[in-house]
Amino acid sequence: MNPPDATKTTSARPRPTGVIESFAYDNRIVRAFAIATVIWAIVGMSAGLLAAIQLFFPEANLNLQFVTFGRLRPLHTNAVIFAFIGNGMFMGVYYSLQRLCKARMFSDALSWINFWGWNAIIVAAAITLPLGITTSKEYAELEWPIDIAIALIWVAFTINLLGTIVKRREKHIYVAIWFYIATALTVAVLHIVNSLEVPATMWKSYSIYAGVQDALVQWWYGHNAVAFFLTTPFLGLMYYFLPKAADRPVFSYRLSIIHFWALIFVYIWAGPHHLLFTALPDWAQSLGMVFSLMLIAPSWGGMLNGLLTLRGAWDKVRQDPMLKFMVVAVTAYGMATLEGPMLAIKSVNSLSHYTDWTIAHVHTGALGWNGFITFSMLYYLIPRLYQTKLWSVKLANYHFWIALLGMMFYVVPMYASGITQGLMWKQFTADGFLQYPNFLETVLQIVPMHRLRAVGGSLYIFGTLLMAFNLWKTAGIGVFLPDQAAQAASWRTQQEHHEDKGPWGHRALEGKPMLLAVLALVAVLIGGIIEIVPMFLIKENVPTIASVKPYTALEVLGRDIYIREGCLGCHSQMVRPFRSETERYGEYSKAGEFVYDHPFLWGSKRTGPDLHRVGGKYPDAWHYNHMDDPRSVSPGSIMPRYPWLLTQTLETNSLPARIGALRKVGVPYPAGYENTALAELQTQAAKVVTNLKVGSVTTTPDKDIVALIAYLQRLGIDIKANPAATPATPTKTAQAGGQPIATN
Amino acid sequence: MITNVLTAIGGVGVYGVISICLFFVVFSGALIWALSQKKSFLTAMGDLPLSDEGVITETKGEQNHE
Repeated sequence: MNPPDATKTTSARPRPTGVIESFAYDNRIVRAFAIATVIWAIVGMSAGLLAAIQLFFPEANLNLQFVTFGRLRPLHTNAVIFAFIGNGMFMGVYYSLQRLCKARMFSDALSWINFWGWNAIIVAAAITLPLGITTSKEYAELEWPIDIAIALIWVAFTINLLGTIVKRREKHIYVAIWFYIATALTVAVLHIVNSLEVPATMWKSYSIYAGVQDALVQWWYGHNAVAFFLTTPFLGLMYYFLPKAADRPVFSYRLSIIHFWALIFVYIWAGPHHLLFTALPDWAQSLGMVFSLMLIAPSWGGMLNGLLTLRGAWDKVRQDPMLKFMVVAVTAYGMATLEGPMLAIKSVNSLSHYTDWTIAHVHTGALGWNGFITFSMLYYLIPRLYQTKLWSVKLANYHFWIALLGMMFYVVPMYASGITQGLMWKQFTADGFLQYPNFLETVLQIVPMHRLRAVGGSLYIFGTLLMAFNLWKTAGIGVFLPDQAAQAASWRTQQEHHEDKGPWGHRALEGKPMLLAVLALVAVLIGGIIEIVPMFLIKENVPTIASVKPYTALEVLGRDIYIREGCLGCHSQMVRPFRSETERYGEYSKAGEFVYDHPFLWGSKRTGPDLHRVGGKYPDAWHYNHMDDPRSVSPGSIMPRYPWLLTQTLETNSLPARIGALRKVGVPYPAGYENTALAELQTQAAKVVTNLKVGSVTTTPDKDIVALIAYLQRLGIDIKANPAATPATPTKTAQAGGQPIATN
Repeated sequence: MITNVLTAIGGVGVYGVISICLFFVVFSGALIWALSQKKSFLTAMGDLPLSDEGVITETKGEQNHE
């Protein structure tokens, strides 16, 4: 390991010449975030492992609704992204920002509000998500009270960040801080815009956007959460910690400037690549694809800048596990940012989307990029905070190899699984029929890959436990330094140590953090505005279909149960315009079919088949038996059992509030519908019960399962009520918001 | 809700042209700006993380147990 910072006494830069001020860096807040990072890493990864095991052993949920896959998956993603990686980001930012600014954080109170508030939000997520309290929007599942808390805590962080920059003693704002500024401002915008919802009850709200518009806003958010929560802050941290560990400046500061501006400007446009071949208008899909491809340039510029920083210092990589983790992190970033644009190419996406290929891609980023760079920072920081050396370099090396092996065992089977299943979905016989018409066949083929994935995940977690032990022992042999004393002159009293008088001088921008922040925000907002605004302004983007009507009261509650159970984690509701999909599922999905869907439920993964045309496909009793025990009707199915739906009483007290909230977001329920909704609900429920009796199933109309069946039987049937709305020939489908059918 | 409030706008075709132009301007601006910076400034900026960060505390530095 390199010697700790605290032992350094010299600098390559001229000593300050102004009035020297004494202050202290706040290490307590860094340590707090470091501890939270390690704890949440173990929690989040364990939740992921349990979810992974359920994909080949569904009984691993122990028949508990709280830890069944649909509810566990968002818990895993939130815990890993916002708890593990989020705390890791704050840890690195709070450490590096103070030192780059030569100033203590702007406000210790705000620092602790940030820490406790953020972690309280995570605890709230860990409670509400298993309870089924969710908006269903991926990576934005938390309900409205928690959304408000997130916004407030993020504002506290942003004020603390900008305040520290304003009171800095170093005139020049290093590029890492630019990335932090872009992160703070953009995440705030993304979170607020995507979380606009009308509350129905304390723990239930409806997105103000519907269908296609909701999908576009959600994936503008979802994609840029990856960009501005998982990428830009960590690039900033790379630009700080990599030179520190390598003890040499970044390869090209010039390249880092171009990297910053090009990346933040281009990234924001790429969101629609999550919606290729869906009912999203073609112009938005094309825009998303083109900008995704352009992203390769800044991403690889940044990656190469990081790796080339190690030129002449590769011997250190051999000795220092911190650098080993950093090198793999940057390499994984390069791999993920090459693969991402490739997956955004429509022809590739037609195969990869909805398969495990996407899972492999995101885990290259999460395990390789975010995970390894966070481990790297922890190995760097803990010895320094405790003024000692790492307890065991050997154990850290073991961690490195086990984690690397774990990552490989995770992603390689997922690639094999994704490509295999994607090809099977599209395979036709010589006679023109689907080779694998039964979706389950394609699932059973990839179950061995799911087992291997769990092995990889286990290895990765084991490595993390080794790290936790090593860091704990390191803390044990050292002495914590809560306030690191420092001295520096205010930059306002310092002499410039270089000449720069040109018209393009850095003073025009780089020395003015607020101007920099505004310009960065403008660069980021341009893409979002140009993509999203036309979707709301141009009615032709979402053609209405006369036969599509709002959901009935019972279907609304059934839909909310579908959301509560996280069904969209495994089932899409978007039949793409491929022959392989229309043969399997039926008519492809039209934008106009989703105008009352608050929120949209298109999903992003098909562990089970698409459900958009499932309405009327099976009798009610089939659904009842399937939800009770999927293997009773589909032998070998990996879907969990949902026996609680058969016994739990349908909650109808909030029905008027739900109807009222849906009306506020634009669903045209007639005035006073709240008063008659319950009676209508009971009538429809009685019909479902009658249908069930035909299938030899006896139940009462007040059960959750009745509402869920009513909703499932409604899916995708409106368009069939008016054949005129469905164009006879594919070439005319644009009128209904669709696109020509592709060949497979 | 929003769709009911907002009405159609004209000339959406110009959005694509605007987006490319904006990207060209931003990218060119960043490129020109970066290329116009003096070597001394870039060197100083690159060295920022390597400075002693004003730290004055001398510490003991215990030995690794291995």
